[in-house]
Amino acid sequence: MIPLRRIYSRGIAVLGSRLYIIIVLLALLADVAVAQREVIYMAVLSSFHLRDKGDNTPTAGLFVSTDRGRTWQHGGWRDYIRNFYSEEGSDGTIWSACGNGVLRSIDSGKTWRITTNWEVTEVLKVKAAETEPSIVFASTAYGIFRSMDKGASWEKKVLGMRRPYSGDVCIDRTNPHHVLAASEEGAYLSKDGGEHWVVAELAVKGVRVVVQDPYNAKRFWLGTEEDGVFCSLDGGQRWEQRSTGLDHRTVYTIAVHPKKQDWLYAGTYGGGVYLSTDGGAHWEKHSLGLTDLHVHAIVVLPSDPRVVLAGTLNKGLFRSTDGGETWQFNSRDDSQVWGLSVRSVEAGR
Amino acid sequence: MRQSLFSVMFLAAFGSLYAATDDSVFEARQRQFLEVVSREPGVSIYSLAAKFAVGRDVNKTVAAFDSALGSFHGYTLMGTYLRFRSILPDSLHRKVREIFRSRGLYRGDTENHWVMHYTGLYLAAQTWPHEDGTQWFNGRSSDENLREAKGWLDHWMTVATTVGQGEFDSPTYMPAFLAPMLVLYDCATDPAMKTKAQMMCDLLLADFAVEHLRGNYGGGHSRDYPADIINPLAAQTTRVSWLYFGEPKRETWEEADFLPRVRSSWESVFAALSSYRMPDIILHMATDRSTPYIQRERKRVRNVMRFGDELNPPAYKYSYVTADYILGSLHGGVLEPFQQHTWDVTFISEKPNNTIFTLHPYYSSHQLGMFFPEELDVLVQDVDRYKLVYTSPDKWNSSSPYEQTFQNKNVVIVLYNVAPGAHHPHIEGFFPKTLDARVVDSTGWIFCRGGNTGIAFYPLKPYEWIEEEKNWRLRSYNLKNGAVVEVASTHTDADYNKFTYRMRSQRVKAEDFERTLTVTYVSLGGDTLTFTYDGRRLLNGKNVDLAKTKFYDGPFMSAEVGTGIIELRHGDRVRILDFQKGKIIE
Repeated sequence: MIPLRRIYSRGIAVLGSRLYIIIVLLALLADVAVAQREVIYMAVLSSFHLRDKGDNTPTAGLFVSTDRGRTWQHGGWRDYIRNFYSEEGSDGTIWSACGNGVLRSIDSGKTWRITTNWEVTEVLKVKAAETEPSIVFASTAYGIFRSMDKGASWEKKVLGMRRPYSGDVCIDRTNPHHVLAASEEGAYLSKDGGEHWVVAELAVKGVRVVVQDPYNAKRFWLGTEEDGVFCSLDGGQRWEQRSTGLDHRTVYTIAVHPKKQDWLYAGTYGGGVYLSTDGGAHWEKHSLGLTDLHVHAIVVLPSDPRVVLAGTLNKGLFRSTDGGETWQFNSRDDSQVWGLSVRSVEAGR
Repeated sequence: MRQSLFSVMFLAAFGSLYAATDDSVFEARQRQFLEVVSREPGVSIYSLAAKFAVGRDVNKTVAAFDSALGSFHGYTLMGTYLRFRSILPDSLHRKVREIFRSRGLYRGDTENHWVMHYTGLYLAAQTWPHEDGTQWFNGRSSDENLREAKGWLDHWMTVATTVGQGEFDSPTYMPAFLAPMLVLYDCATDPAMKTKAQMMCDLLLADFAVEHLRGNYGGGHSRDYPADIINPLAAQTTRVSWLYFGEPKRETWEEADFLPRVRSSWESVFAALSSYRMPDIILHMATDRSTPYIQRERKRVRNVMRFGDELNPPAYKYSYVTADYILGSLHGGVLEPFQQHTWDVTFISEKPNNTIFTLHPYYSSHQLGMFFPEELDVLVQDVDRYKLVYTSPDKWNSSSPYEQTFQNKNVVIVLYNVAPGAHHPHIEGFFPKTLDARVVDSTGWIFCRGGNTGIAFYPLKPYEWIEEEKNWRLRSYNLKNGAVVEVASTHTDADYNKFTYRMRSQRVKAEDFERTLTVTYVSLGGDTLTFTYDGRRLLNGKNVDLAKTKFYDGPFMSAEVGTGIIELRHGDRVRILDFQKGKIIE
């Protein structure tokens, strides 16, 4: 005789396992349904070879993947213009940060227009505000530039910055007037859309990258030149270092896991990829299979977070299908993959 | 048939090129130059333009132009196309137009790149007006492109004529500035732009002329390549000097010893094609060496984008120009990312490698990060990949923060204060094997003789000689280091012996150098120079304030910083380039 309690618990177990399967299936279906279109943009700054020998395709510039990074097609200008970074705004506009200036495409990359004049050059990042995509910031070697009209006009915005070089800019997704910029003197913060900047309380120089946390809009992450990772919980006012286990302290890129809060990937100079599963408190090296440990760009795909892409400074793009446990060479051998970004568009949008 | 038709059309279009005018000597050199370049093996835009000009193998040249079209840069393409479009078939007209619709032209990241880029864009927008953005590679209309190109060219001309060029006085890159300006002069239809291009041609040539000596570009250079630095007549400017100044003799730039480093870079072909005529006054400035003179100039450092508080700090030049040699120097420090040539004495000689100089072979990511936006950690490897010698301890060009100079006439004091832990903790001296004499005297002076020039070189610290293929390398390992150099014209053996005899009595006072980094030297001419590294430059007890250096200050050129008004002068003749008003006044 089977005890009632055992039957009950077995029933719960069966029900639980079935429920789990159903939840997983629903989640997968939902995943497919939600992420109808996912586009990855890869900016290849330079390559040893100007053209592919086979089909004369450019080896540098913008490359686009719509199959989770398996294959790539060259997009944008076919000639060398030093493409540092490209991304798609929430309105579908594609922006490219280039040596030549800021390029914009409003027809999915079929045609491009350079939106900046000669005063804007060496553009290292371009970011459009998530909620107001006509607001665009460009961080350049000569300072921050801002457009309020989707690139029709640009203004230099460096008031308060002692030295203008900026390698990255991050617009608060909840408030486009709240902007952070990476600089050679640390992180700068603006509360009025870039009109004025104040340097953040941060005892390091050489901030390379600024990232807003997708789970907590007040939480921001910094990657620095030689000083590891910093975290702010108050929108960028105060910062604390979170670099335990990070043996390589120059951090070029940080990517937050789209599904797991407190999981972060860091791309470093010399150490490859590091992963933290506890909100940056501890880091572990996850570089198995990377043949170049200078990682300048990382994206984790929202549609399938097991797929992680890492762009390196010497050996092209690497792809992981197990969340960064192992890496396989993907494409663009002997190339500098400077920037990666991903845009997932939900169904019906 | 086609060739003869071409000849008729060419002569009709460019008849002045062959007309017997007052400029007939120059025009004869133009023809000779085009002949030489037209025989160049291999396809380059320069050889094709020269072939078009002389009418060699026209059908083949048209075909070669067609097949290589995609590889040409904007201004060279437009410069060639606009000159010879009348002989090109319609299909090629369409192809050239298509280039500017479908190719994304890279603007580059140096001053010469931008001049070439915007000259090409300007001429293209002028050639195909009133077209919308769909017809242009950058999505802009013809009007927008013309405005953009004109905007930058105007800006560059203003900066270059008020605070100087960033890539100044470069024996390699000077022709890369001159050639676009010549093309702009020849092809711009806007009279104002044409005049400004003409004035820039005048200025670039005058700027070269005052530091020119029989084809050599003397003095300090913002950037150059080792092969040109150790062999000055192998530089690209030698062709410019031959075309415009008639010096050195033509054979020089065709001889094996003086062949340019990049043989296929014949930017000067556009000088040989151009209707621009250099005013005589500049010819006299370039060749009149009857009286030694001091030439002071204020240039600028190219854009400092990181690790500096000033976008374009000043660069101060001092050159002492004689009939036999030029002793010239930049004031020192990092004035250019990595190809700086801070000082040298270049003397007239029939032999190659007619120069002596020293340097500290510096490299660092921080230095490159001042001028390039990429990550510091990869800049060194990236520059080394393309420039090959950047990290070499043996390189012959270097922008070192540990090097400073103080020059007065024929004397220069060069001091080094290399930081402990710096890469390559030694200084290098170039002494060519082609010297007629190189003697280490018991007094510590090294006496050298090259052509009609005697050079006395006093190293402040112990050193060793390393024999190399073309030179003796002086290497000294002391971090606090330097040399005193005095130069003299020595036309005869007696002159040279007298010079060395007198120099043996000359004393360099540097007793407490390790602590004070101060050197005092009284020249044969009686001037007392006292120089402290990172400190003052005293001439006969008075402070020399480099900040007061004028834009141009010499017998042939003068201008104040910031005015854009530059006076060229020779004897009673004066030519004023007034860039404020866009006018030439004579």
